[in-house]
Amino acid sequence: MAFLFAFLLAAAFGQTLPQLPLPPGKVVLVPQPHHDDHTTDYGMGGLIARFVDEGYDVYYVRASNDEKDGVALPAENDNINHRESVAAAKVLGMKEVISLNWRNDYTASIPLNELRAQLIFLIRKLRPDIVVGHNPWEHYQKNPDHRNVGRAMAEAYWMAGLANVHPEHFKLDVQPHQAAYLIGKARLDWGLGHTPNGAFSFNEAQQRRKEIAYQTHRNVYAHPASARALKATLAKQNLTVPEFANLDDQAIAVQMEEWFMNWQSRKIGKQAGAKYAEDYYFMDEFDHLPGLKDYLQRNIQKQ
Amino acid sequence: MKLIAALFLQVCALAQQPTVLVITADSADYVLAAGGTLAAMAAKGSAIHVIRVSNEEKEAWDLSPEEAALRTKTESEAAARLLGVKEVISLGYRAGELADIPFTTLRDKLIFYIRHYKPGVLFLPNPYIEYERVFDRYHTGRAAEDAWNAAALENHLPPFTASGLKPHLVPEVYYFGQPVDPRRRDAESTETFVPQLKQMDIAGTLATKEKAAQALKTTNDAVTRRLKARLDATNRRLPALQTINDASINALVHENVQGLARIAAQGTAYKAAEEFRYAGLAYRIPAKYRRP
Repeated sequence: MAFLFAFLLAAAFGQTLPQLPLPPGKVVLVPQPHHDDHTTDYGMGGLIARFVDEGYDVYYVRASNDEKDGVALPAENDNINHRESVAAAKVLGMKEVISLNWRNDYTASIPLNELRAQLIFLIRKLRPDIVVGHNPWEHYQKNPDHRNVGRAMAEAYWMAGLANVHPEHFKLDVQPHQAAYLIGKARLDWGLGHTPNGAFSFNEAQQRRKEIAYQTHRNVYAHPASARALKATLAKQNLTVPEFANLDDQAIAVQMEEWFMNWQSRKIGKQAGAKYAEDYYFMDEFDHLPGLKDYLQRNIQKQ
Repeated sequence: MKLIAALFLQVCALAQQPTVLVITADSADYVLAAGGTLAAMAAKGSAIHVIRVSNEEKEAWDLSPEEAALRTKTESEAAARLLGVKEVISLGYRAGELADIPFTTLRDKLIFYIRHYKPGVLFLPNPYIEYERVFDRYHTGRAAEDAWNAAALENHLPPFTASGLKPHLVPEVYYFGQPVDPRRRDAESTETFVPQLKQMDIAGTLATKEKAAQALKTTNDAVTRRLKARLDATNRRLPALQTINDASINALVHENVQGLARIAAQGTAYKAAEEFRYAGLAYRIPAKYRRP
């Protein structure tokens, strides 16, 4: 109902994306393949910061070991990326980073049901109301980890509520639990592969935390080499950026990343009539019962 | 004499109706998405065979997987009988586990049945539907679509060919699914390359479809109880579910079937419909090669 209202309101004001209210609940689970997927330019640091500020407990599941991401050797990358992931999660205010340590970029060849079983157990243990991750129906997604962790997540979030799914878990004092809402993120600049149905807005301070969390991943972002390359390109055209005058290359790289993140959030915010926003495909609690949705909206009452 | 002639014509008409093969992951999917259309085809004389891929052991409330599998099998046969389906073949794969079944294993079983029944019409789950969270339907749809293609090729499964199961091309295919994808009706390409939207009037068989859907008692019971549990946990109520019994569950199924029929009828003059992506004669045969 809230979603319908948001959609009508957005249409009335000529916005292309309705602003969505945060779904009700207390716990959010964010299963993602990599150390940095919760803080990327097109993703979800702003939404996570808002969830935290509004009292939700947010947990991050890092499914892969990230050994390929970075310039170091695999084991070293794994270690650095894990450390930076924990630091970024702290900036956003998340409760915990849970690493499953599947081999980075190799999830296409693992038994998907095994990964799903791990997520089902975590859903039963942490009992999230909302699950946030890669939209598994995204097209043109080249990264196998994004596809496969998204797929496992999209099954786990509701199958965890079925008592006949992995009954062995119940020996560990957990009960069936179904998350009611799924929020899928995807890149919009990849063809027509993803059509968002709404946006979550956030404030200046939350945007700032998103920027800081992003550049916390120094192993893969905000590298001084990117600043040197930009300065060299500008120098060839006799151009300078005044804001860079008193900064070293590391600080310039950070500044560039922060500007980019800010621009990205403002761009989506403009579409949604907010200063800052991120867009998603939001699956409401009864979307899986399309024939009943109208009937339920009309007839459900508060007790 | 006139009566004999009329009976003869009736028998001839029945004999001309194509055999229909339905491939589905679970019974609820095909009954809810295609039950009305199938009931109409059965009434016209088509012999309909259903391949039910999963054992539906997970979709149950307070039943063991074994008990759920047994009950859903019996109920799937009861639902099929109501629609006029001749036979349900349950492959028995564990529900929710199809991701780890080798793709070609499932596909080759389906090729076997396509070649055996030589259907004129094939119904399969649309694997291109977005936001269908039951991925068994996706896996079944992918395997079924590939089986449709491969069943017609001589070099697939030569032992079957040698045993008399000759290649067979099914000329008409209906892709079915639940209307969860907001882009499901978006135009993609011409009918030569992409199965097109096809809406079927099911006003005449809606009641039959509803009865078939109500026969899936184990699934309906689980869906209803999960819905009530969700409402209870969030301090909400649905007056119709004050008490859960056969009557209240059937009432919910009634609302569901009616709601789906309304959604599928949108954009038509029909009161009740089902919508498909349809690949018929025009699929893969450009217009210039077809007779008007």
